[in-house]
Amino acid sequence: MKHFLLKIEPVIWLLFGQGLLIGTMLLTGWILIVGLAMPLGLVPVEALSFDRAHALGASLIGRLVLAALIVLPLWKGAHHMRHLSIDFRGADRDVVVAPILYAIALAGSIAGILAVIRL
Amino acid sequence: MAGPSHPDAMAPSRPGPTRTAPPQMPASWWSAPRIRTYLLFDATGLVYLLLGFVALEVVWALGAGPEAWDAMLASLRNPLVVAFHALGLASVIFVGVRFFSFFPKAQPPRIGPMKPPPAPVILGGLYVAWIGLTVLFAAILAGGIF
Amino acid sequence: MSETKKKFVITRFDPEKDESPRTQEYEIPVQGDWKVLDAINYIKDEVDPSVCHRWSCRMAVCGSCGMMVDGEPKLTCKTSLAEYGDTVVVEPLANFPIVRDLVVELEGFMEKFKRVKPWVVRAKEQAAEKSGGGTYAQSPEELAEFKKFSMCINCMLCYAACPVVANEGEFLGPAAIALGHRYNLDSRDEGESERNEIFRGEGTIYSCSFAHECSEVCPKNVDPAAAINQAKFSALIDWAQNLVLPKGRAGGA
Repeated sequence: MKHFLLKIEPVIWLLFGQGLLIGTMLLTGWILIVGLAMPLGLVPVEALSFDRAHALGASLIGRLVLAALIVLPLWKGAHHMRHLSIDFRGADRDVVVAPILYAIALAGSIAGILAVIRL
Repeated sequence: MAGPSHPDAMAPSRPGPTRTAPPQMPASWWSAPRIRTYLLFDATGLVYLLLGFVALEVVWALGAGPEAWDAMLASLRNPLVVAFHALGLASVIFVGVRFFSFFPKAQPPRIGPMKPPPAPVILGGLYVAWIGLTVLFAAILAGGIF
Repeated sequence: MSETKKKFVITRFDPEKDESPRTQEYEIPVQGDWKVLDAINYIKDEVDPSVCHRWSCRMAVCGSCGMMVDGEPKLTCKTSLAEYGDTVVVEPLANFPIVRDLVVELEGFMEKFKRVKPWVVRAKEQAAEKSGGGTYAQSPEELAEFKKFSMCINCMLCYAACPVVANEGEFLGPAAIALGHRYNLDSRDEGESERNEIFRGEGTIYSCSFAHECSEVCPKNVDPAAAINQAKFSALIDWAQNLVLPKGRAGGA
């Protein structure tokens, strides 16, 4: 397992890095509207009506953006949580913690891509 | 006063009359301000993971039809969810500021024939992209464009 | 020159007498312009000759005198005593096994250091006629690409500051990776593939979590954090290239 983790590290780092870069940039606008402005009633109702939301989301760019919004934060999150585990004297448990976290990110990523295809 | 580091840090201690004492670190090491900021940075991983799963739920509901979508919007109005997203926003901004400040120095001086632009240009470009993308995305989501 | 007294709490460890490290307090008169090293030397010379510590150049170029002063890794020859209060805690460099008092075991670093091949790797020496007698021409621009990373004095403050080093035994660590990267960037070197493979192996550079502590404490502004994270990118490209076009060692057979 340790050897396998070493082999995939560069790819994980790439996904993690894009989670930091693209994920952060996309999440800011997303949280501002979907997470805060809409629930607080600051957004007109038609803006996020099902028809409009689905039309936007099902467009090609919409699908790519939504996929990125799901996949990238998951890998950033999983990788950072692994580092956090190591920060708390977790070097020895890492061989168990890392695969679990990355499996969660992978499951979420697959579900996310399916969800985007399904739109 | 001092606490232990990982017993194998740098090298395990040798036994015998010339034995070394195990590696240690000052008691205040983990509570230093910079280290605490760093630990907070790593801890935002949990927030990002949850944000990813919430986004997954939203997209799943969008694909499930109008009733599921309206139910999703209703659950997003839950005060706890709103509070989580407020924490999410703070985390994302904290991560962005810290990561972007480090990003320029992480670019190799050359990849093949290509050189990166000077650090201030990279930093400025990152913020322009961040703010621009945020404004654009928010405008689209809030109904201002398209 | 003003003279006051300061108390020093120094880590003591004699493997023949002590079960584990303990501390000992010394109160000594100090002078206003002293560095921490001056105080420790005074303690050894005038108060307790059994105190052991490493030091040499007194001017921050040899890298010998690294210690934890009030919990932070410092070169004691470069650290002004005036920055500290009435009590100063001096401990051996964090994350290294302790040989005696303030002296730490550096073998762990030496092994990692050698592993990254910190020398110019070439398949063949350049033909003498081609290079004007066996020398390699390098422009100032080419030198500038790696010069910063060549400034390391191996003082090990970065290892004492790194949270990853503190938490595991295998990580190559800031100084070793920065030096390996220095050679990867050197226009005379052809060993980048070999080093990148080492970087991705045991002690992987990807264990670095960009805490940036190494660069914060480096007394020579080597910026190892920059080196490591540049190396991550380079190693990724190397890994991807290897996936598509597996290549041999520098210069072939």
